[in-house]
Parts: sequence; C-alpha cells; structure tokens
Amino acid sequence: MKLLTKFNRANIIATVIVLLAGALCYYFILHYVLVKQLDSDLNGEMQEVKNFIKVNNSLPDTSVYKEAEIISEPFPSKDKARLTTKEMFDKKENEWITVRQLIFPENISGKYYRITISKSEQETEDLIQFIITGTLSLVLLLFLCLFIINRFVLNKLWHPFNNTLQELKKFNPGSGYTLQLNDNNIAEFKELNNAVMEMSRTVERDYQALKSFTENASHEIQTPLAVINSEADLLMQSENLTELQMNNIQAIQIETVRLSKLNQSLLLLTKIDNRQFIETEPLDISKIIKKLLVHYEELIAAKEIQLKENADKPVIILMNETMAGVLISNLITNAIKHNPGKGFIEIVLSENKLIIRNTGPVLTAQPHEMFERFKKENLSSESLGLGLSIVKKICDLYHFRIEYGYARQIHILTVQFK
Amino acid sequence: MKILIIEDEKALSESIVAYLKGEEYTCEVALNFSTALEKTELFDYDCILLDITLPGGNGLSVLKELKKNNKNDGVLIISAKNALGDKITGLNLGADDYLSKPFHLSELSARIAAIIRRKQFGGSSMIRFNDISIDTQAKTAEAKNKPLDLTKKEFELLLYFMTNKKKVISKTAIAEHLWGDDMEGNLDFIYTHIKNLRKKLAETGNPDYIKSVYGMGYKFTD
Repeated sequence: MKLLTKFNRANIIATVIVLLAGALCYYFILHYVLVKQLDSDLNGEMQEVKNFIKVNNSLPDTSVYKEAEIISEPFPSKDKARLTTKEMFDKKENEWITVRQLIFPENISGKYYRITISKSEQETEDLIQFIITGTLSLVLLLFLCLFIINRFVLNKLWHPFNNTLQELKKFNPGSGYTLQLNDNNIAEFKELNNAVMEMSRTVERDYQALKSFTENASHEIQTPLAVINSEADLLMQSENLTELQMNNIQAIQIETVRLSKLNQSLLLLTKIDNRQFIETEPLDISKIIKKLLVHYEELIAAKEIQLKENADKPVIILMNETMAGVLISNLITNAIKHNPGKGFIEIVLSENKLIIRNTGPVLTAQPHEMFERFKKENLSSESLGLGLSIVKKICDLYHFRIEYGYARQIHILTVQFK
Repeated sequence: MKILIIEDEKALSESIVAYLKGEEYTCEVALNFSTALEKTELFDYDCILLDITLPGGNGLSVLKELKKNNKNDGVLIISAKNALGDKITGLNLGADDYLSKPFHLSELSARIAAIIRRKQFGGSSMIRFNDISIDTQAKTAEAKNKPLDLTKKEFELLLYFMTNKKKVISKTAIAEHLWGDDMEGNLDFIYTHIKNLRKKLAETGNPDYIKSVYGMGYKFTD
C-alpha cells in the first residue's frame, strides 16, 4: 500500500467520523433548542387562551389562531398541564407530521375542560434535513479536495523522494556510479538525501576495502604457493632421487595446485557475491557447451564415458561471459569427475532448460545439500567441493532455478533459465 | 639470451634463475620497482618477467615506461592477481603474455621461449632437438626429414617437451599446459597422448626420448 493511500484512508475515515458525529451533535442540540423554542411559544399561546377565558369566561374561537390548533373538550377531572410530542395525520397535506402539544385543564363556568394546543414541528424537521444535506455535501467536497491535492500537489511534493528512490535503485557498489540527487528545499528530503549520500559513500568505500582485501589476501596466498611450486619443480630436476622422494615431491605439487585452486575458487565466490561480473551480453549456451565438450574430449574418452549430447539448437541467454563459461564447465567437469568410468553423460539443452544426466556413485547426502560449500560425497576425492556451490551462486545471480536429483545411480542436474 | 626477472619474492626469483640457467639464458634479477626501472632503462633484454605488485610501485608502470622509450623487449607478466582487469590492462599496454601465480617453471620456460621466438625471429622459428625439428609458425614437425603426422595436442606436447628438454616435467604441468588449469583429479589420460607421441617418433626411427620419471612425470632427453 502506498503511503499516500494509507494517509488518505486515515484522513478520510477521521474526517467522515468527525463530520458525522458533529452533524449528529448538531442535530440533537438544534432539535433541543428548537423544541424549547416551540415549548415557550406554546406556553405563550396557553397564557393567551387563559387570559381570554378569564376575560370572556368562554373558550376562544379556535380559528383566530393561525399557527396553532386549539382543541377543547369537556373533561371530568382536573388534570395537570403537560407537554407531549405526537405523530398526527395531516389531512390537508395528506401526510404524517410530528406535532408538539401542550395540554392543560381550564375551568370555565365551573365546568372542567381539557385544552390542547398543537404546533407542527415541520420547520424543525426541515432544518435538520438541511443540516444533513449540508454535511453530506461537505463530505463530498472534502473527497474532491483530497483527490485534487493528491493528484496535483502531493505527487509533486513527493517528487524529490521518488527521485532519490530511483537513484538508489541504480546504486551498485563497485560500479563507480555516483548518485544524482536533486537539490530541493524541503528539510526532510534534504536530510534524507544527505544521509543517502553519506551512506552510499561509506558503502562504496567499504566495498572497495573489502574487494582489495580479498584480492590482496588471495595475492598473499598465491605468492608463497608459487614459491613452493617452483621449489618443487627445481627439486624435481635433482639427480639420484629415490622413489620415495619423487613421490613426496609429486604429492607436494599436487597439494599446492589444489590449494591454489581452492584459493581461486573462494576468490571467485567472493567476486560473484560482490557482483563483479555485472556486464552481460547475449550468449549462445549451445556454442559454449560444444566448445567445452571439445576441451574435455580427452577426459571423457579416458574414462570411457559415453557422451550423449543434444544441444544443437542455439539458446540465447543474457549473462556474463565469464560466468556462463564457469557455470557450464563446472557442470560438465562435475559430471565427468563423479563418473565411475564406462558410464554415460547426457546433455540436453532446450529453449529454457539444461539437463545433465550422468552415472555416478550412490548418493548418501540429501540432494539439496549438494550445493553447500565443501560438501563432498567422497572425503578422499580430489575435488574441492566448491564446484556446485559456485554453480548455485551463479544460478542465484541470474535467477535460474537449479535442481539436483538422484535415482538409481543416475544424477540429474537441471538448470531452468528464467 | 638475456632475461630480466622483476619479482620481489626472492625465493621465487632464485628458483626461476636456477631453472632457466640450464637453457642458455643469462638471467638478471630486480627485486624492487626502482631497480627494475633502472635496469630496463639501461639495458635491453630479450624477455622481461614482470610482477605487477612490487615494493615501491606498480609493475605496469615499468611496462608503460618501456613502451614510452620505444623499447622492444618481450614482456611476460607474472602476477598473483588473477584479476581479469589486470590481465587486459597488461596486454593492452603491450605485454606479450600473462601468467598467473602459481605456475610451473616448465610452463614459464615455454612461455618465455615462445615470446623470444616471436620477437627474435619474426615468428618463423625452428626448434631442433637431434633429428627432430619443429616449425612453430607452420605448426609442423619433422623427424629425420620425414614429416610427423601429429594431432594438435601431440604437437603442443612435443613443443612443450622440446622447450623444456632435459628437464623433468610433472604430469600436472603437462595437463595444465594442454588443457588449462581446470583439470582436476586423475591425470592418467595424459599417458595416452605420451604413448601416441612415442609411437609416432619411434615410427620415424627415433630413439625413445620421452623418459618416464617414476611418480613425477616425464623428461625429454637423449
């Protein structure tokens, strides 16, 4: 829900409640005052009638009174004067009307009469109707005003905020983009812009620091590795090495290479996390697969793996070239690496899906755990356990869906492009 | 052939010198930025190994300086920063090749040889070992004046051996040279290629120059 909508809703509800409550109060007060007025009028009439009786000792001619209707009837006992409200049918107007009546007893020549003076409340009713109509018109007018304000004033008022928001969306640490925040004279937005500017600078600075730290750390690790590796290369050239020494040197080299690859993989994961592979271009996945399969030809042949490949149709996906290469090569090497030999690899590429099926050892872990870092089925295996987590990370980056399935020693990896 | 090694890691530069000495190269070492600038300004080298991160300055500045002075020394960048940006900048600035650390000395040697071939002989260089000769330009090989019918990988393997003759080359180094560094695990498939190359050399009447060194790799020697 938009802030504006929420604010308007509260505003409108409050206004309507206040207006209706006000109208109600107004109604009662007015009604009370008008009835009071009517009552005092009736009392005046009563006094007139009483005076008339005192002077003439007879009932007045009722037709003389235009505003009120006076009925007198003989009444056996003395009664107290009282005021009532009554619904009556008006024959002239042919409708029910509310009347206010003052009933009082009077003694005319020793005979008791009950005299009723009635006055219509019609005017009061009219007044109240007028008040209600007025209130409703006010509510409507208020809605109209709010609409106009929202439409033309508030949108303009919020413009600097929206501008800041749009700029923030474009912000990406490391891209070198500087936020273009418009100047404005509204204190809150000014403050917001200053805070945003300050924050973006901090983020950018921290990001650069982190980036250079990871790169420097990797650099620092690669250098001693380079020394170890070249020392082993040199040692290898020595004459008269024993078989055991040769094995030792070989082991040192293999582990150095592994450590270096591990370091590079972690660095790659960090780089993906830092979104350093941001430039994208339309790439033909089919072409990448074909190229990599040629590259791994020997590896596949050496393990006597039967390759079934169905990826002839071009499938164009918008992504970073490096990332696409890493994704596909990790998937293929994964299928080769875990193949027990004399098995098969099946690669099927369709318009929005890449499926890689391969024979492999019995899976003991849960399929979804396969994407975790350093999750290895075989602890002694030379694989780093990072390949699939890199794959997952790349898929997450491009919102591809990746699934790992296993059934009867066949592993199935499905990548769903968007 | 004169080679300048600009590398601040003393142990690494020493082992590079030790490895290259046997291959008719004269090596000099610059351990920091200022020495590097001085040496490159005063002398000409056939190939310069250039580390990017140096105490006192950036290796790329040395490269810029070289190009500014119209020097034609071959430059091989050796950097621990496997950052694509650095690589592209380096190559754009006129470096001939880029090798990321850690590397095998045999790989380094092969890359240096390739740069020198391109620079010295205008790209039409022949490499010989006894009766075997390789034309790196035409990518053809001959043995005892008979053409060797080699696959692309076998040709590269033979070239790699011949630029690292009399040196033990590990299996990992061969795998990385021929297939890049994403080859993990069992490297037995290399053996197939060695076997085929041996067979083709034997067919032309050559002795078996490719000696297996138990547990480590191979050595190309007579």
